[in-house]
Amino acid sequence: MKPYDAIVIGGGHNGLVCAAYLARAGRRVLVLERRERVGGAAFSEQVFPGFTFTVYSYVVSLLRPEIIRDLELPRHGLHVLPLESTLTPLANGDHLAQWSDHDQNRRALARHSPRDAEAYDEFGRTLHQMARAVKPLLGMVPPDPASLAPGDLAGLARLARHFRGMGRGVFHALHKLLTMSAADYLDEWFESEALKGTKSASGIIGTLLGPRSPGTAYVLLHHYMGELDGVFRAWGFAKGGNGSVSAAIAAAARALGAEIRTGTPVARVLVESGRATGVALESGEEIRAGRVVSSADPRRTFLELVGEAHLPGELVEAVRRFRFRGASAKVNLALDALPDFTCLPGPGAHLRGAISISPSVEYLERAYDQAKYGEFSRRPYMDIVIPSMIDPSMAPPGKHVASIFAQYAPYRLNGGWTDARREALGDAVIDTLAEYAPNLKSIILHRQVVTPADIERDVGLSEGSIFQGELSLQQLFSVRPAPGWSKYRTPVEGLYMCGAGTHPGGGVMGAPGRLAALTMLGARR
Amino acid sequence: MSGATVVIGADADALVAAHYLARAGRRALVVDEREAPDAPALEPGWIPPRVVRDLALERHGLVVHAPDPWAAAPLPDGGRLELARDLARSAASTARASRRAAHRRPQFCGRMARLARVLELLYAGPPPDPLARAPGELARMAGLAWRVRRLGRRAIEDLLRVLPMPAADLLDDWFESDELKGLLGLGGVMHLAQGPRSGGTAFALLHGHVGSPPGVFRPPRSNLVEVLARLPGIEVRRGARVARITVRARRAAGIVLATGEEIAADCVVSGIDPRRTLLELVDPAWLDPELVRAVRNVRARGVVARATLLLDREPGFSALTLAPSLDDLERAHDDAKYGRVPQRPALEAHAVDEAADAAGRRRVDVHVQYAPHALAEGAWDSARRAALGDQVVALLAAHLPGGAAAVVERSVRTPLDLEAARGWPQGQMHHAELALDQALWMRPVPALAQYRTPIRALYLGGPATHPGGGIAGAAGANAAREIIRDARRGRL
Amino acid sequence: MLRTTPFHARTAALCASHAWRRWAGYVVASSYELSHDREYHAIRSAAALLDVSPLCKYLVAGRDAARLLDRMVPRDVSRAGIGQVLYTPWCDAAGKVLDDGTIARLDETVFRVTAAEPGLRWLEANAAGLDVSIEDTSDATAALALQGPSARDILERACGADLAGLRYFRLTAARIAGHPVTISRTGYTGDLGYEIWLDAADALPVWDALVAAGTPYGITPAGMLALDVARIEAGLMLLDVDYVSARKALIESQTSSPYELDLGWTVDLGKETFVGRDALAAEAARGPAWRFVGIAVDWDSFERLFAEAGLAPRVPLAAWRTSVPLYGDGGQVGYATSGVWSPLLKQYIALAHVEARPAAPGPAREREGTREHRRRRAAAHVVKKPFFDPERKRA
Repeated sequence: MKPYDAIVIGGGHNGLVCAAYLARAGRRVLVLERRERVGGAAFSEQVFPGFTFTVYSYVVSLLRPEIIRDLELPRHGLHVLPLESTLTPLANGDHLAQWSDHDQNRRALARHSPRDAEAYDEFGRTLHQMARAVKPLLGMVPPDPASLAPGDLAGLARLARHFRGMGRGVFHALHKLLTMSAADYLDEWFESEALKGTKSASGIIGTLLGPRSPGTAYVLLHHYMGELDGVFRAWGFAKGGNGSVSAAIAAAARALGAEIRTGTPVARVLVESGRATGVALESGEEIRAGRVVSSADPRRTFLELVGEAHLPGELVEAVRRFRFRGASAKVNLALDALPDFTCLPGPGAHLRGAISISPSVEYLERAYDQAKYGEFSRRPYMDIVIPSMIDPSMAPPGKHVASIFAQYAPYRLNGGWTDARREALGDAVIDTLAEYAPNLKSIILHRQVVTPADIERDVGLSEGSIFQGELSLQQLFSVRPAPGWSKYRTPVEGLYMCGAGTHPGGGVMGAPGRLAALTMLGARR
Repeated sequence: MSGATVVIGADADALVAAHYLARAGRRALVVDEREAPDAPALEPGWIPPRVVRDLALERHGLVVHAPDPWAAAPLPDGGRLELARDLARSAASTARASRRAAHRRPQFCGRMARLARVLELLYAGPPPDPLARAPGELARMAGLAWRVRRLGRRAIEDLLRVLPMPAADLLDDWFESDELKGLLGLGGVMHLAQGPRSGGTAFALLHGHVGSPPGVFRPPRSNLVEVLARLPGIEVRRGARVARITVRARRAAGIVLATGEEIAADCVVSGIDPRRTLLELVDPAWLDPELVRAVRNVRARGVVARATLLLDREPGFSALTLAPSLDDLERAHDDAKYGRVPQRPALEAHAVDEAADAAGRRRVDVHVQYAPHALAEGAWDSARRAALGDQVVALLAAHLPGGAAAVVERSVRTPLDLEAARGWPQGQMHHAELALDQALWMRPVPALAQYRTPIRALYLGGPATHPGGGIAGAAGANAAREIIRDARRGRL
Repeated sequence: MLRTTPFHARTAALCASHAWRRWAGYVVASSYELSHDREYHAIRSAAALLDVSPLCKYLVAGRDAARLLDRMVPRDVSRAGIGQVLYTPWCDAAGKVLDDGTIARLDETVFRVTAAEPGLRWLEANAAGLDVSIEDTSDATAALALQGPSARDILERACGADLAGLRYFRLTAARIAGHPVTISRTGYTGDLGYEIWLDAADALPVWDALVAAGTPYGITPAGMLALDVARIEAGLMLLDVDYVSARKALIESQTSSPYELDLGWTVDLGKETFVGRDALAAEAARGPAWRFVGIAVDWDSFERLFAEAGLAPRVPLAAWRTSVPLYGDGGQVGYATSGVWSPLLKQYIALAHVEARPAAPGPAREREGTREHRRRRAAAHVVKKPFFDPERKRA
């Protein structure tokens, strides 16, 4: 049999995207997935009969449109339905709603502050311009600023030209966005607490940082990134749950000739005289291939699968201090009926969008205060969607599923995560949400709570970090995952990385997998 | 070169600017609303050697106080972690706190010193303008880039990684000793409304390290302001409150004092904060409303109170830091962030190195962090001020010979008092917080970063401009050099 | 949910066409009848009643009210007398137009500002350091435009006052059906006409009184389609159609200065300072890069184009609002932003931006259009704006 050109470790969406692109270029590819099913964190399951939970990740934020086109994912079953609104219930029974229609949105905001309603457009324009300025960086293999290689120098020169060409206003705005806290940045634009709270929430997702910590403003930009690619309304929900995203990519990869083996945990990468030659499975079997590409996070890849012995000390040091710090939990509910929110009673369009428990920046900051010292937030930030409102096939007729993303639930919990602590977290989430939707407790048929420790154990993401490492400034672009190794290559020849732990990181779905594949295809043997 | 310059404010930067302008042949009048200099004898801040040299400060009695050990912190076992200026000498003391710390400290200090060196290069002149098109500026930037690259791969990698980091993460990477991390961590949040777990506080730690030898993370203290005030060549008028800056034919034409007295000048330099300068002293009609908005948004939150204690005996330390751990610092910041005076503020006490006064009393200056400028409940009053004094004495008592009884007199200045007495906006000593988004070409806002304002002949030269507070006199010297350059090119 | 104006109870009942459109978050009638034809002719031959309530309105009052507006707009507001109305654009610091509207001096220290886009934030930003209060009265104030040759007769009957003395761009207080209103001799049609400002609560009785007074004179409720024809004939530009606000522009080339919009007459460089002054002074010195002009399509050329395809010429009866290229000798020299067949002038007219190259030859231009699925060019030439300028407008 013809040997494999490449083995992809991990069948999460990035691994599958990488495999699909390699297969598309005619390479013989084998994907090895530890679990019985592909998808990694993009995974749907009927945990409770008749109810499909999107167990971990739950929205399609920024699945790159070129991937959807290149891999013809709609032909393989992908259908992304838009989330059209964000509702922020407030403690006083009022609410803030943000809608995709400009007039409707302006009116909803003006109810809280006419200034904010006006500023919203200008804010959107500024972020749009910055997204335009940043977008080329996302699609670019980051140059190494410390290198004197002609390729890196040319890349740096291109980068310098790019920054100098973006104009003073945009450059300075970008500087602020990269270095400010979400709270401070939003304070410069808005006065309504509910709006600032809800906007700043996107700056803290997946990160153990509070909205007042510098570095959290940058993530606000990701919301505007999708629109540039013609993905108007970037936030969406995949029909069938996020598992169907993985299923579609896997189907595309198979159709292109890739082989996918599930239930096949990799024990280590085989390294011979500084070169990756294949992998050894936990079963003892060894599989050889010209290249090995790992979609696992940097810690797992380097410290577990490769081993320090094969790596320079500096890289080991950098990987050790790479911050994961998972901070997010999921609570998935099977519901007998729709939750009834005090602020907007009854069913309505608001239940088809996201519901955000983020009444103010201070609310989020206080939630973070507890997490800083190793406790989960008693009153957490939550992002709730009711997938069955968008895709009725997720639950039996008339019944519903709710997906609750909750933060902060620090991986390093004082005393560690136990079953009791997990359920206590679930209670805190439900208690808090029930303050806004009093019927909640009476309609819950089943509850699933997923902590960062569960994510680490079940999905294999270190410390339960949903982005395979925090998206903080010191872990982005040229230094993701480590200085000098931001280009999907590793010190082990023939070993590549393609997970969210590489540029441009998590939340920009599929981009690392694609860029890694393109890097490998461009590289000479 | 001739012409009259009015300099508003008599703090270090303003005085340095005045002296540079005077040396260039301009008449320099410094006006300050305070009747008498209100600064303590010693103010913290590293003085760039060029300023010392240019103004011959040493000849005029400049005393730079660099205590050795430069910092000390009590250890739980009753001993003290003492950090000597000489790295080798402090190794033994560090080992008391943590053997691993002692082992790793030299490497840490070496790498931080190299990063501080990069900042020092950037601080020597006006901020680089990455978007500049002028050949001179491009050449300067290329020179800077070359010098930074020469520091090596590791320095560049560290620069990218370290500057945006939380000081807590940086210190956690290197050390285990809570006392050492607390002591160094306080350097990362000094005068900042941030806790050590906030991003960018590693930059602040490095900022405070600039100009000091490897391993010394606090700027020296000096009598700079006093020396500058009596250095001949300029006129200083005190008790003169500026009511407004006159603008005629779209350029600054002088100032009007609160008394109504007009002072004509062909150039006005403001050493006071930009918000007051541009929004109160100048008619905002001269400014783009977007600039007005940006100036209003400059963050200047005061978080520091100062206490002065008089002891009836030797304090037994030259410097003492009470910030037992990063968590303690962070918790103190948590309180302040919600407008409360912390249960346990972080303290840094300095024994003032001067002879005992007539009654034989010794003075100790205490930096108290965090004390919020605005309280969530109520407002600063004499009772709260006194309560803060009690807290400071109670916290220090255990480390004073004779305990609380040694303190015979004390006075406390809240951020509000400091605002009133020193003109610091919200009590913020640096006029604009030293954060990455308010540094370099962003300081205090991009449109004002090159010391010029939209009003011709009106300049900013205070700590709110690059390189900012803590680097004593550098902003003033940079501003003066830009003014002289403009005058030479007929653009004043 | 879109909002309805205070006149909705009346306009909805009249709107036989069910043709509505959005205007600043409100729904307003595109046309009441099945075609806007008669509504347009009412503007030019009798009187049309238009609901213009969605305009943004602000009340600026206080000691420094005049200073605030003087600082914000390029026109000299301080010279406006009480009862005077100024039309003016306003700019950002780069001298690029943010919005345009009117400033009415209601009293020594009280002004009403109208704008196409919400502008509370900008007004407040300009108010730094001033003693002034700014109130958003957009919802509380309803507005009607009564436009056409009979407008004065109708309004005099409705308010029982003599309006002969009310000059162009002046205003007066009056009562209609017992309700206090402000009447300004302004409009967006280039005809004799008035705008009536009133408390939203009084909207329906005032509407009814005007309709009652106007019925003998042929008063006709008119929608946006008719207004669009009239405003192009009058050479009046429209935000978001003929120019992009500098606040919304994504790139510099989308912005326009007052000079580039043929509004140089509103820029008073004699004022010591106002937002954008430096940039505008520099532009005035070097000359603007663009001009905003009226274009008329040569009929013969246009007719020939269709004749070649065996068709009679087809003219746009409703105004179009798309960008249409204009060509000169050396290629594209500009673009038209709105155009329409003028039923009165029997001319195909358009408003257009053309490059102001000093060497650009003559007035001859070619305008591109679609004829039977294919893009073709017809000859066009620059004509003086307004296309239609009756004496009664000012008399």
